[in-house]
Order: sequence, then structure tokens, then C-alpha cells
Amino acid sequence: MSALSRRRILFGGAAVGAGALLTACTSNEPETNAQVNTNTGTSANPNAAAGQKVIIGFSAPAADHGWIAAITTNAKAQAAVYPDVEFRAVESGTDAAAQRAAIATLIAQKPTVIVMLPADGKELDSTGLEAMKAGIPVINLDRAFPSRAAYRLQIKGDNYGMGLAAGHYIGEQLKAKGVTNPIIGEIPGIDSLELTQERTQGFNTALAEYGFKVANRRPAEFTADSGQAAATALLQALPKMDALWNHDDDQGIGVLAAIKQTNRSEFFMVGGAGSKLAIDAITKDDSVLKATVTYSPSMASSAISLARLIGQGKGMSDLVELQVPQEITLASETITKDNAAKYAKLGF
Amino acid sequence: MTTQTAPPEATTKHERRKIDDGVLRNLGLVGVLVLLIVVGIITKPDLYSDPTWVKNNFLTILQQASAIGVVTVGMTFVIIGGGIDLSVGAIIALAGVWATTLATQSYGAGGMIFTALIVGIAVGLVNGVLISYGKLVPFIATLAMLVAARGLAAQISGKQTQISANSTINSLASERLLGIPLLVWILALVVAAGWVLLNRTTFGRRTVAVGGNPEAARLAGINVKRHHMLLYALSGLCCGIAAIMLTSQATSAQAAMANLYELDAIAAAIIGGTLLSGGRGTIVGALFGVLVFSTITNLFAINNLSTEVQNMVKGAIIVAAVLIQQFRYRSFTQLFKR
Amino acid sequence: MTIPSRDGRTPADPPHQPTSEHASPVEATDQAAESAVATPPSGAAAAGVALRTPQETPPPPDDNGGGDGPGDVVLRLTDVVKTFPGVRALDGVQLEVRAGEVHCLLGQNGAGKSTLIKVLAGVHHADSGEVNFLGESFAPATPQAAMRAGIATIYQELDLVDDLSVAENAFLGHEDSRFGFSRRRAAAQKTRGILARLGHGEIPPRTMVRDLPAAGKQIVSMARALSHEARLIVMDEPSAVLAHDEVENLFRIIRELTAQGIAVIYISHRMEEIREIGDRVTVLKDGRTTAANLPARSTPTRELVSKMTGRSIEYVFPPRRPPLQLDPLLVVDGLSRAGEFADASLTVAPGEIVGIAGLVGSGRSELLETIFGARRADAGTVTLDGQRITSVGKAVSKGMGMAPEERKSQALLLDEPVYKNMTLASFSGFAKAGFTDTAGERRAAEKTADALELRPRDVNRPIRTLSGGNQQKVVVGRWLLENTKLLLLDEPTRGVDVGARAELYQVIHDLAERGVGVLLVSSEVPEVLGLADRVLVMREGRIIREAPASELDEDTVLDLVMAGSLTTESILEGEPA
Repeated sequence: MSALSRRRILFGGAAVGAGALLTACTSNEPETNAQVNTNTGTSANPNAAAGQKVIIGFSAPAADHGWIAAITTNAKAQAAVYPDVEFRAVESGTDAAAQRAAIATLIAQKPTVIVMLPADGKELDSTGLEAMKAGIPVINLDRAFPSRAAYRLQIKGDNYGMGLAAGHYIGEQLKAKGVTNPIIGEIPGIDSLELTQERTQGFNTALAEYGFKVANRRPAEFTADSGQAAATALLQALPKMDALWNHDDDQGIGVLAAIKQTNRSEFFMVGGAGSKLAIDAITKDDSVLKATVTYSPSMASSAISLARLIGQGKGMSDLVELQVPQEITLASETITKDNAAKYAKLGF
Repeated sequence: MTTQTAPPEATTKHERRKIDDGVLRNLGLVGVLVLLIVVGIITKPDLYSDPTWVKNNFLTILQQASAIGVVTVGMTFVIIGGGIDLSVGAIIALAGVWATTLATQSYGAGGMIFTALIVGIAVGLVNGVLISYGKLVPFIATLAMLVAARGLAAQISGKQTQISANSTINSLASERLLGIPLLVWILALVVAAGWVLLNRTTFGRRTVAVGGNPEAARLAGINVKRHHMLLYALSGLCCGIAAIMLTSQATSAQAAMANLYELDAIAAAIIGGTLLSGGRGTIVGALFGVLVFSTITNLFAINNLSTEVQNMVKGAIIVAAVLIQQFRYRSFTQLFKR
Repeated sequence: MTIPSRDGRTPADPPHQPTSEHASPVEATDQAAESAVATPPSGAAAAGVALRTPQETPPPPDDNGGGDGPGDVVLRLTDVVKTFPGVRALDGVQLEVRAGEVHCLLGQNGAGKSTLIKVLAGVHHADSGEVNFLGESFAPATPQAAMRAGIATIYQELDLVDDLSVAENAFLGHEDSRFGFSRRRAAAQKTRGILARLGHGEIPPRTMVRDLPAAGKQIVSMARALSHEARLIVMDEPSAVLAHDEVENLFRIIRELTAQGIAVIYISHRMEEIREIGDRVTVLKDGRTTAANLPARSTPTRELVSKMTGRSIEYVFPPRRPPLQLDPLLVVDGLSRAGEFADASLTVAPGEIVGIAGLVGSGRSELLETIFGARRADAGTVTLDGQRITSVGKAVSKGMGMAPEERKSQALLLDEPVYKNMTLASFSGFAKAGFTDTAGERRAAEKTADALELRPRDVNRPIRTLSGGNQQKVVVGRWLLENTKLLLLDEPTRGVDVGARAELYQVIHDLAERGVGVLLVSSEVPEVLGLADRVLVMREGRIIREAPASELDEDTVLDLVMAGSLTTESILEGEPA
């Protein structure tokens, strides 16, 4: 009894003194599992040797999605690995206007290189140009600028490729099982985004190769609760299903919850992005989730490594070229139970 | 002499109108629900021919309406009381995130539920104090809270999706009692409690009074400010309950959860016959409003129609409901004169 | 000068009449005669007031009229009637205004002046009767139409937009524009011209109206009137918001306007202003013209006051009771609120009816609300039964109740049934453990409805379907349920018809018989004198006279209530309260 009343006081106080106890709560968040390239032995990698000091300015929108959170975490962690890198992140708000203002202050500080994940590639095109004109090489993460002159290097994931990978996996599996006229469901993220449309196009293209098509698609909003709602609706609409592709592992938490709540298991599911939770679930193989196609935030770690090289005027040591190339598109890989162990460190 | 506008009406007319007010509006919404289901039967006869599926479908519609339904009950009180609460979605997110921190989860299901309710009430109280005693307009105060509470939720969660590891909480969404999902029972309880509170208690009477004519309520000795504050706390409490329900459904919480719930809750209250200027509204009507939305979502899902069209239909239904309200309270001549 | 075309809304111009050009004047006279017959005989003639009958048209210009030499008739009202549900606001008004004159309109509150102004301004439409402006039948559909036709109205509460500039206000509603863009420079130029014409070229046209003092705002209102080329300007108590020297300036402007041939209808309660600026006076009483075209300078005040008070409503007051001699229940000591009232002290004993006579703006309603705790006093105290009253909650819990001035906006839940309105202050008392007892409330409300002779007696009806008098009974009944010891009544018979008034008077008397103290405010002097045991007269925020009702008569009180600001000091010195 006394323990209970003590708890009450504790929680009551916590709720009232919201700000004061905030730090106590945040300190309990799980340890971050950043994706870091630790290949910094100078003997194996001559580029790892400390060079001239590089100041990397960094900007990413303050979104509350796990993937963007991982982008920031990865960039910061990768920068910390290099003793010759100084990392300067700016608070960039949630929209393009706020980010434009944030980057303007960054440019004024004259960093050696700027790494940015634009809130919107088109809207921040002019900001990229401005930085380049000021003599600061810009590394664009994930969301392309229309002007070639607005960036020195672009490193991005492959949304279309994700769809292709998911479609091929599902097609192969169903073909192997001998299903001729399968019922396939799809849960995309926010449907109005270009990236969602690219993923869906890739998915449909791949499925068409097997003569399959999507029976029903219910979009969610990249959040777990919207994923649960979309999945519940989809499961109700398709009383029997053979396969399901969910575009995003974050909303997939809700999708998996909905599947569990409705006691459905007659189908298999493919995820998207490659979160740690999803990779763990695939490894354990205790749910319908059998695979996920990657769109890894590890690109932020790579971007920092490449920014350092650009800042120091070095090339990638495995390539002949003396400079870092201009475009790098990550391949979307398919993580299954067989290769999950290899990708575990890339889960976010 | 002051201008007098209310013409005396015949007793029979007002008797008829009373029936209109209480039952006809709800009957109209029931009619819409039946229509939606009939459209479902016509378009998907194969699904509707399976009785198990039909039963499951109704329970799914109810279950998917449960969290937003609870929020709408609180919202209905606030609107009848002459206010508006734009921060409900944000309060759910904050309460959900706070209830799923590792620290809170270590106290078990009871601790998580308690935290969500307390956070909901506390944020609601802050809204209430700002509006009643800080004299902020409800729209502004709760808009600010919308932004701030989501911000705080993002801060607490570190923008991560926080997984609920508590099996008791998670099972709320899958367990059934007498064949009916627990979440639906919770909704039923909240609706029943809300109905009693509005129609059978002094709190409800005060709510109608302060919303219908705050000056008259004040001059009759009712503490209008305190009551407004309590209404926002009540809305916050409903958000706390909804936060637990949503967390159990999604087995997680995050700062972006319950996105745009404020709009759905306000819209449901309005098509349920709640007057946005306050003083009039019903809990049952609000419940029907929520069910109409939930049924539309279901109908569009089983027909694999895009959510864009679904949103357009929702918008049209809101406009139609409000237009019908206006036609009923103004004569045609008045409508065309102005 | 633009003269508006008729828009076909004139009642005298029925659409089925093929030769309307010829037939309408005949129709008009017929209708006017009909409506004159239709008015109850208890009207002006029965009151024994000299009044031209509508058949004698046009009324000959008064020989003793303004010395400025009146020009042509610009406005003529014949038998204008306007009714609102339960109220006959205008009941046969005659009015004649000539070009270049200042025509004063006199009457008590409720005499119909405001309604008349609104008919001229296009806010209301006359039910019957003829309004003739510049030789044409005048029935503007909207205030804008009235302005375009040449009648501008300057309200007491100036209807300016604070956040627009002087020029934007002057041309509000008829802005100069080119391709949809307002021509601000041109408007400013024109406004400058108009302001110069008003002798106020020093007001910059680009200033925000918010930043102007009250007198400056009034000048902007007049500039707006002139921007419309107004031929007739109606001014509703323009001096009420002005300081003494500003009034002089106002008069100078009015004289300049009339010299340009513009007619002015001037409304004021201040007799010496009427003497100074007015040419002719028309007196209204209960919606009727009781005297027309009296010379403003030479008509004795007595005569004007008697025209205003000439009895036409039968006030039926219950027989007076012997006054009770008890210790005071309510003691108000030195109560003040800046800009509203100052140093008000009064007492009310159990079973006593105390009446406050005063005009709108005299601070009477504000005083009542402050006593009730609804406004915070700057200084002074209110005690009921020896307990300090500082808030409405306290006032109600200690046994004070109030029926406020604006019934609809301050007292009623219009959509709710009668019984819920009746129990608005007491439903918590009926409740058990927070649960309302609607059956008990209904029973109690029915009992009260019986005692108040509420009609209809059905307590489940929405209160909006009741007449004004019965709504007021519900508001009073609310406090009967609360075991109220002191009842504050602010204009209890406003918007109440004659029959219901008598019943309300009886209710108030019955309450006093039961030992309830009553503090009553009314702008109808006979009501205060007929109901109250003791009378306080308020003017410009101060109680200037206190006496037993039996020692006062209507004319004396009206003189006190209306006396101009110049004589305030002399009254205070001559007859200390």
C-alpha cells in the first residue's frame, strides 16, 4: 500500500512538474545504436590518417520519424570518430523556410563542408547554390536538388529500387509456393509524397513481371498508430491474403500489432527501411515479417566520411579517381533471416 | 425600446420541434450509417455473405472508433461549454509518450495508465488556466498547446517510436469481454459516463449554461471561469484514456501519434449536432458522428478506394450536416434574405 | 447631388397597380388614414395632446420656428408605425424637417427616438405610414442605401473602424478604386478637403482612428456623412461623449453645415443645448408625436417636459403599503468606479422598495452590477446583512439576486426550457450528490409559475417562445426559488407590454410584502415613483437627490434627470441630496 501511494506521489509530481522532471525521463531512453564506420586503422586505410582540420556543418529537419532521427544520430556519431573533424549541427525546424534560415547562419560561419538533408530538395535548391557560391562544398543527403551546381556530392537511397526489391522478393516467394493468383496487400506511407509514389511504382513493376498485382492498398502516415489503423482496415477488407508489403518499418510496429490483434498469420509480410526492430523480428522469425528492404540512414555516416575526404581533398582509396565522385545511390538490399546477422549493425 | 426578434410560437410546433431535436437528428445519423452499410452490402456482397466476417466487421468499426470516440466525448463537453480544444491530438501524443518511457514502464501497467491520465489532466488544466485566468482565446491557447505538447513529446521520446513492452497494456487491444473488444467496452463506458455527466448532473447543467450564455450563468452565481477550466481538464482526461487505448493498439507511442485527431473529434461533434458557438450538443450524436467516419473508412477500405476520395466524402458530410442544422434553425426566408 | 431611384419596396406602391405613378399618392393617403384609424384610441388624441392629424397635410410651417429662416421641407414623416413582437415602438410618428434647420427630437428613453433614427438610417423598415425625403417616398433597403440617398446618421456609439485611417473611415463602403486597388492618395486628398470644410484641416487623413480622441472620432463620422453629400444628418446625443469646450466646436460645425443648406436632426437630453443650437422641436412619447415644430428657443421647459410625460400608458400600481421601519439589509458606502459612477451611498431595508431614476449613461446599471459583485469597485463597500459582498458568487450565496437590464444577453438560456432558466441559480440546491433532480426542479418551477401567473404555464417550453413580460417573470422567479433577501431589478419592464407590466408590479410588491428588499432601476420616471417607497435620482454618475417617493412628482424628477451639465453644480448646491 505504501509503495503504491509513494508511486502516486511520484507520478503526480512528475505530471505537474513537467519541465523539471523531463531530464529524469529522457535519461531513460534506450542507448542509441548509431551506424558508424569504424574502419579507422591507418594501416588498412591510408585515408584514416589524421589530416587537416575539417569543419562539417550539418542540417536535417527536426522530424519526429525514427529514420530522420537516425540520420542525425549517425552523422554525429561518425563525426566523433575522426579527431580531425569538428561537427557543427544547426537546429533546422520542421519546414523548408526554417531550414533555409538555419543554413544561412551556417554559411556565415564558413564551415569546410556542409552536409544537409533538405526538408524539400526543390525548395532548398537556391540555398545549396548559395553555399556552393560561397565556396563551401555541399553534400546533399537523400533529397536531390534540381540544379547540378547546387551540390558537390549527392548520396541517396533508392525508393524505386526498394519497391522493386520488395516486389521481387514477394514474387519469388509466391512463385516458389506455387500460388497462381495471389492476394497482395500494400501499406504505403504518406501517399502524397513522391518517395511513396516511387516505391509503389517499383513494387507494381516488379510484381507485374510475375503477373501479380496489388489487391488493396491502405496508406498510413509513417506512425505506428496510423499503421495499425491502416492494417486493421486492410485485413478487414482482405479476409484472406498471401503477401503484404509495408513501406516503412516504423509504421510497421503498428501494422504488426494489428496483425497480432486480429490473429492473422496466413500470409507473409515484407517491411521497408530496415529498422533494428524489424531486423530483430526477422532474425527471431516469430511473426509474419519475413523480410525488409533497406533504405538505410547509414548514408549519413557515409556522407560524413566523404565530407571529410572532400574537405581534405582526398579521393576514395579503393577507386582510381583522386576525388570523391559526385553521385552515390545506395542499393536497396533485401534483409531476410539468412542475412539478418550481417545487417544487424545497420538497423536503426 | 429594444429590438425583439423571437416570435411566439404555437405549442404544437414546439412539441414537434422537441422531438426533432432529441431523436430526429440522431435518427438521421442512424439513417446515414444504415445507408453506408447498405452501400457496403451492394458493392461487396461476397464479404457480406459471411456472417462471421460481418460480425467481425462491425466490431472492427467499433474498435477503430473507440479512441477517437473517447476524445470526441471530451471535445463535445468543451464545445458545448463554449470553447474549443485543438490540442487533443498533441495531448494524446504527450500522454502516450510519457506513459511509455522506460522509467514509466518500469512501474507496470498501473503506472503507465496512471501517468497517461495524470499527464492528460495536467495538460488540460494548463489549457484551462490559460483560457480562464490568462484570458487567452481558446483557439489560441490550445493551438499553442498543440505545438508545445508535440514538441515536449518529441523531446521526451528523442523522436523515437517508443515500444510498449507491457503485455497487459498491449493486450487491451486484443482481449475481448463477452465477445466484444475491451476497447469498445471502454468507449461504451466513457460514452455512458459522459451522457450521465451532461444530462443528469449539475456539472452538465453548468456546462450548458456557461456555453449557452456565459453572462447569464455568471449573474446567476455560477463560477464560469472555474467551470471552463474543468472542461479542459475533462478533455485532457479523455485524451489520457485515448492515449492508453492508442498505445495498446499500436503497441507503441510516438510524438507524431494521433495526428489531426482534433479535426476528426471536432467534426464528429459537429455532425452529431453540437453547436460550435456552444450551449447545445449531445453525447449520443457525437458518438454517431464518430461511427459515421469509422464506417466510411471501412467502406472505402473494403472497396479499395483511395483515401483522397474518402476525405472528400468526409468533408461533404460535415458540410451537409452543418447546412441541415442551419436550415432547421433559420427559416428559409431568413436564409435567402441575408 | 444624387437622388435615389425608388426600389419598389414602398408600401404605398403595390406592384399590381398598373398606373402606379398616378395612383400611389392616393393610395398613400388612404393607407395612412387606415393606419391612423387602426391605432388604438388610447393614443395621442386621448391623451389630450395638441397634435396635427395626418389628414391636415402638409402641416403649415410654424411662425415661431427657427430664426434662421427655414427652407424647403426635406423630410416628412406621416403616421409612421413600427412594431416589434410585443412592442409598438413607433405608433404614428409625424415629423417635418426643413433644409438648413436644426430640428431637435425630444423624448424619454423608450419614446421611440432610437427606432425612428434606425428607420431613417435604413436599419429598420416602417410597417406603415409615409416617409418622404426630398419629395420622394423613402424606404432604403440597407443603411448604405440610406447614405447614398443622402441621410447620414451619427450614432452615439460611433460606428467607426478603429484600425483604419481617417480617410479609409470617411470613405468606408464607397471607396474610390481603380481595378480593385484602393486609391489611397485620392481618398486622402478628398478627406483633407472635407475636414477643412468642417474646420478641422489639422486632422491628418492617414491617422488611425484608434489614436483620435472622442471628439476627433465624431468629426470623422461627420466627414463620412459629408463624403456622401448628405442632405440630412441625424445626430444621436452627439454631446454625450464631448467635453464642454468640444461642444462649442460641435455647435460651430453644425452651424456651418446648416448654412450650407444641410438639415440636422439633433437628439439630446440637455435642455440648454436645445435652446442654443435648435430651431424647432418635435416631442415623442410612447412612439407618438405629442408636439411638433415647437420653437426651440421660446417654448418653456415646463411645456416641453409635460409633452414628454403626458400620460398615455396606464400605469397600474398596486396600493402603497405602510413603509416598514427596519434596520437596513443592504448598505452601500462610497462606492465608485472610474468613469461610471462616484461615491454612491445608499441603503435598502427588508421589505423596502428603493428606486433609482436616471437616464442611460447616468451610471445606474453599472452601480447595480457593482453592488451585485459583477463589476469590481474602485472604492467603497457593499454589505448585505453585515457581510461584505465582493463577487457574484458571494452575493448569490448571501441572498442577493439580480434581474439584469439586457434580458436576452444577460439572463436567459434561450434554447433551454423555462424550468431550467428558472432554476439557473438554484439547480445545485435541488441536486443530490451532484446529480440534478429535474423532477423536483420542474415541480418547484411550476409552483413559481403559478405564483407569477406565467403564461403559458408549461415549464417545458423553450423560453425563447415566451413574450418579454413572461420571460421577465421567469428571471424574477429564478430568485424566488433562491430564498433571495435582496433583489436588484434593472429596467424590469423593458420590452414588456402594458398588461404584463401591471402583473410584474404586483409581483414586486408581493416580494416586498414577504420582506424582500428591492432595489430598482428604471428610466421611466412614473414607474420609479409608482413602485418605490424611496427614490434616488442619478445623473452623470452621482446620486443627486434622495427622497421618499411621496415627496416627488414626475416633473421634478425629470428636471433633475435631464438638467444640463451647466446646472449640475447649482442643483448640487441648491438641493443637497
